[in-house]
Amino acid sequence: MSRLLVVDDEANIRLLYSEELKDEGYDVVTAASSAEAIEKLQTGAFDLAVLDIKLKNESGIELLQKLVKERHDMPVILCSAFSCYKDDFSAWLADGYVVKSGDLTELKQEISRVLAKKAQKVKAKV
Amino acid sequence: MDLECCWNRDVITQADCPKVVEGEEELLVSKWQRNLEKCCECPTFLNDLKQLRDDGNPLAPVLTGFLAEFRRQKSQIQSLVSFLDSKTLEIRFLHELGSVLQSSVDLDEVLSVALTAITAGKGFGMNRAFLLLCDRQEGKLKGYLGLGPRNFEEASQVWEEIAQNDMDLQTLAQNFRLNKLSSEREKFHDVLEQLTVPLSNKEHILVKALDGKRPLLVEGAFQHPDVPPELANLLGVDAFMLMPLISRNRRVGMIIADNCITQRAITEEDMHSMETFSFTVAFAIERASLYDKLQVELERVTEAGKKLKEQQELIVRMENMALVGRITSSIAHSVRNPLMIIGGFARSMLKNSPASDSKRTFIESIVAETRQLEGVLDEILNYSDSLYPTRDFWDVNQLIETALHDTADVLTSNGYATVYSPGTDLPQVYIDFKLLSNCLKTVLHNDISGIGTDLSISISSRRADDGVILNIEDRSRHLSQAELDHLLVPFSETRELGAGLGLALCKTMMERQGIPFVAQADLQDGIRYTITLPTRKEEQT
Repeated sequence: MSRLLVVDDEANIRLLYSEELKDEGYDVVTAASSAEAIEKLQTGAFDLAVLDIKLKNESGIELLQKLVKERHDMPVILCSAFSCYKDDFSAWLADGYVVKSGDLTELKQEISRVLAKKAQKVKAKV
Repeated sequence: MDLECCWNRDVITQADCPKVVEGEEELLVSKWQRNLEKCCECPTFLNDLKQLRDDGNPLAPVLTGFLAEFRRQKSQIQSLVSFLDSKTLEIRFLHELGSVLQSSVDLDEVLSVALTAITAGKGFGMNRAFLLLCDRQEGKLKGYLGLGPRNFEEASQVWEEIAQNDMDLQTLAQNFRLNKLSSEREKFHDVLEQLTVPLSNKEHILVKALDGKRPLLVEGAFQHPDVPPELANLLGVDAFMLMPLISRNRRVGMIIADNCITQRAITEEDMHSMETFSFTVAFAIERASLYDKLQVELERVTEAGKKLKEQQELIVRMENMALVGRITSSIAHSVRNPLMIIGGFARSMLKNSPASDSKRTFIESIVAETRQLEGVLDEILNYSDSLYPTRDFWDVNQLIETALHDTADVLTSNGYATVYSPGTDLPQVYIDFKLLSNCLKTVLHNDISGIGTDLSISISSRRADDGVILNIEDRSRHLSQAELDHLLVPFSETRELGAGLGLALCKTMMERQGIPFVAQADLQDGIRYTITLPTRKEEQT
């Protein structure tokens, strides 16, 4: 079972993602801030992280850069209400980008795609 | 003693004095006036005076002395009146000339009037004149215009034509300007070329006269020690005048005038008259030249003002767009999150509710409505994005300062120091501001992952033939060229180098817009990025 870290400052969104992704068979851990996310990452390995770009007074992009640097084997999907971040090269460090929507189909498909790609890479290395 | 003359009679008739002519009838009844005006020149009166002398009248010699003195003074007064008349005419002429010159700011018109005045019979009556102007940029006294006949035949023809038409000075000047200016310039082209002298040649007689700021009459030119033989041969006259044109103590130019056809001697009077005239001409020429420059500057300022207005309108437009963008972004954040939560939970509930559930249609309605609202939200966001123009003319400094401003916090917190040296006189560049700004930020951000000790980034801009060149020198990262080339290949594995995909994407995006992006690595000095931004629309593909 793949372990996912969901980082979003909205409690209801964390709940929604958690419920929906658990239904899809993932083990979901949530965090409301960058600090909490870093803390959760210390507790064990994660297969993928879903990050919101706007985290109250923080930037999800900075967390993304940190993760890319320190956990470069863990793919990251950015999830934001702002489609304009697609133009920002900093956001292009992420492995996937999804605009927030009540229909989580796209997010679920993106998670599957990124995890499959990661699996392929691991397989190729072995 | 019998007197022959009527000089001692109070009243006479016209038959008594042949000296009194028609129109002078008042003299017939005014003895004193008649004595002064007519008698002292009358041979009959002089005979009477001789008779008195011969008769031994003691008053006769005294009267003869008085008469001689009176005649001498009268002649002196007449010559003074004649001199004053000629001066009055000259002053009238100069006044007329001054009025014409002062009313014009057209350089060719001023020069036409000046040279016509020098050469016209109604003016100073010189045969030929050349006008030389000081070119301060080139540091030369340059032959600019010549007027006059080149030989006797041409002179006869021109003077006959002038005599037949009897034109006044202003009409002559207008006629010259309209019909002869370019042909005279062409006619004297060879002479004017050779009259050009560097102002630094202080020993040349033209420069000497100019520096001396005094008119100079040159006589015996072919033997004159100060006149170069080539100048004497070029003018082909033995005597000529050099009239420096000085305005407000500044050297404006020089007039060379001569009587190459009539060989009439140039007098001191000619020199004085021309000197007075030269002040007006110098002032008029300088004013006309300044007016020309003013016109050029005015056009430049008008053009700059127009561009400024366009830029201001663009800024206002951009500010309005940015405001719309901010508002819609704010709406997106405030509305999209609750909307997705409602829609998400509704979908979740729908998924888990049996088909027989009577409330299922309500949930389906919520899902459908939120989907529709999300669609509206996307449309608003797409519209706000489309408000930004893609490519336009932008100030390079604004581009760099925006990128530096946006990255300042991160750069400072990582201990980086940035220096920007803007080039002078940079033209505007034709770019997609948003894209270029993102590229620059990416290049600067990539530098943050530096591994050296010198955490400095220098940016400079300079004008080049094909655009504006930006140089970004990052001294913190020490890579080989091979490693850097690897970074610039899209989708290559670069994370261990800390640069992500950014550089490769920057290169690709800029090159797609026809903007060359060159990155050179040096293990000692760091990385140097060179970006050439186009200044014209057609330079982009």
